[in-house]
Amino acid sequence: MGRIIEEIYVWRLPVRLYHWINALCMVALFVTGMYIAAPLFNPPLGEAVFYKGMAWWRYLHFVVAFIFIANFLFRLYWALFGGDKYARFGGFRPWSPSWWGKPFREQVESYLFLRSDEPNYVGHNPVAALAHFLFIFCGSIFMIFSGLAMYGENNPGGFSETLFGWMIPLFGGSYTLHFIHHLGSWMLPIYVIMHLYAVIRHDVVDRTSVTSSIITGYKHKVEEEPD
Amino acid sequence: MQRNQTFADVFRARGVSRRDFLKFCSLTSVYLGLSPSMVPNIVQAMENKPRTPVIWLHGLECTCCSESFIRSSHPTIEDLLFNMISLDYDDLLSAAAGTQLEDQRRRIMKEYKGKYILAVEGNASTKDDGVYCMVGGDSFLNTLKETAADAAAIIAWGSCASFGCVQNAHPNPTGAAPISDIIKDKPIVKVPGCPPISEVMTGVIAHFHTFGTLPDLDRLGRPKAFYKTRIHDKCYRRAFFDAGMFVESFEDEATRKGWCLYKMGCKGPTTYNSCSKIQWNGGTSFPIGSGHPCIGCSEPNFWDRGPFYQRLAEVPFLGTDSNADKIGVIAVGAAAAGAAAHAAVTAVKKAKEEKHDNKDKA
Repeated sequence: MGRIIEEIYVWRLPVRLYHWINALCMVALFVTGMYIAAPLFNPPLGEAVFYKGMAWWRYLHFVVAFIFIANFLFRLYWALFGGDKYARFGGFRPWSPSWWGKPFREQVESYLFLRSDEPNYVGHNPVAALAHFLFIFCGSIFMIFSGLAMYGENNPGGFSETLFGWMIPLFGGSYTLHFIHHLGSWMLPIYVIMHLYAVIRHDVVDRTSVTSSIITGYKHKVEEEPD
Repeated sequence: MQRNQTFADVFRARGVSRRDFLKFCSLTSVYLGLSPSMVPNIVQAMENKPRTPVIWLHGLECTCCSESFIRSSHPTIEDLLFNMISLDYDDLLSAAAGTQLEDQRRRIMKEYKGKYILAVEGNASTKDDGVYCMVGGDSFLNTLKETAADAAAIIAWGSCASFGCVQNAHPNPTGAAPISDIIKDKPIVKVPGCPPISEVMTGVIAHFHTFGTLPDLDRLGRPKAFYKTRIHDKCYRRAFFDAGMFVESFEDEATRKGWCLYKMGCKGPTTYNSCSKIQWNGGTSFPIGSGHPCIGCSEPNFWDRGPFYQRLAEVPFLGTDSNADKIGVIAVGAAAAGAAAHAAVTAVKKAKEEKHDNKDKA
């Protein structure tokens, strides 16, 4: 094992907190959401007033959703005004051809085994940044907007319905929006598989302790082992 | 029937007492969701405004809207109302036929230019110049455009006229299109439902007659008074939904107990209509009340969001019937397989490199 030659503080506390709250919220939202779509348990025969079977799952889904939204907004604030060079939007310009240029191409080539050396990034590499933009940023925004639109259906003319109700005609009706929200929730397991695989692989290949960095905040540069 | 009669004139001619007339006005205000203080306005309008001329066209449809409209169980009220809107043209109900009837339509269009209401039941075929729906020797597409040109407003009766319904369900061989896709320059009230509730239909006309304006519409162009909330929100089985007490099959004990039909594919939670409030046939019942899940007939594209007895719609995916969960599981499987393959290649490559390094050393 090589000697640790440098310790870099990459993920500051707000980023780490965001990461874990987000992870827990998304898992909870996925589980409760799937339960709402297909409730498994039926209480025994009796009076409805004694049970909260569905109401409780829906309540959990809504509470966690609002924590998720608050956490997302906090991360947005941190990206824009946090002045954290590993957590900002700054360098991410997917609309610009220059962004798709050398660094992105090199990283893709490396993932596709077309080049032997791994480009090394302290923060997110360009491919990771794109994946996060698509899944975490766009995905969260879609799930939040569609979720609030459906939440607003409970109270027509209220806050959620007034601000996000336009999502319903946009997607051709309430049922279709429910369907797409349901389909969208599958982004989570897909993302989790890719995310965990990429992290563990980078840790094994590059030995940058990226896995533990989301708990400790530190990544390491390891000296190549002298043979 | 005399022209320019008011509602009150017709009532009087038919021997309805003033007391019953006022009752009718109060009831109309209730159906319109108006406060009691608005009743005098309705009475005033009914007594003084000439009846609103209505031209009722039938396109690609099944006439269930008309059936709903005429088959109401408050005969003393709805039947009178049916006689009173001055239904000047309706190719289904008219005694006249052929040229006589078409002349009548043109006469109304000229005499009440810009004042009549065009009620459209069904929609128009747009493919091949609309040849798939011919009425009175012309395509319904042409008749619709011609009659809409001088109308004050259009009422799109039923899901066909509002959203397309079964005619424009996939694959839509006749190119059937809802009215709002064909007529762009007139205010359109959508009264979806297959069919809509009769009180909702008469309520919309009464609103126009009373105030001279269209009712408040929601984002999909439906009157808010009747389509603001979902069936689910006013459903008498909602308590069972919240409790998580669901019917699992039509034979189980829960069915007999009248539990929530959510798991039987009830579309009540995504369907905006008044069925659970006003109900059908004079408040007798509505589908859920009779133990059948709501099929969401007043929602856009409800035919393509089936099956009716499942929560999750089936959609075509990779050439098969699939649903959101199946698509999700396939995608997750693909991601996992991709990660595993990538890991394998990484391992092989690493092993090769190490071998290579060892050889260099040797």
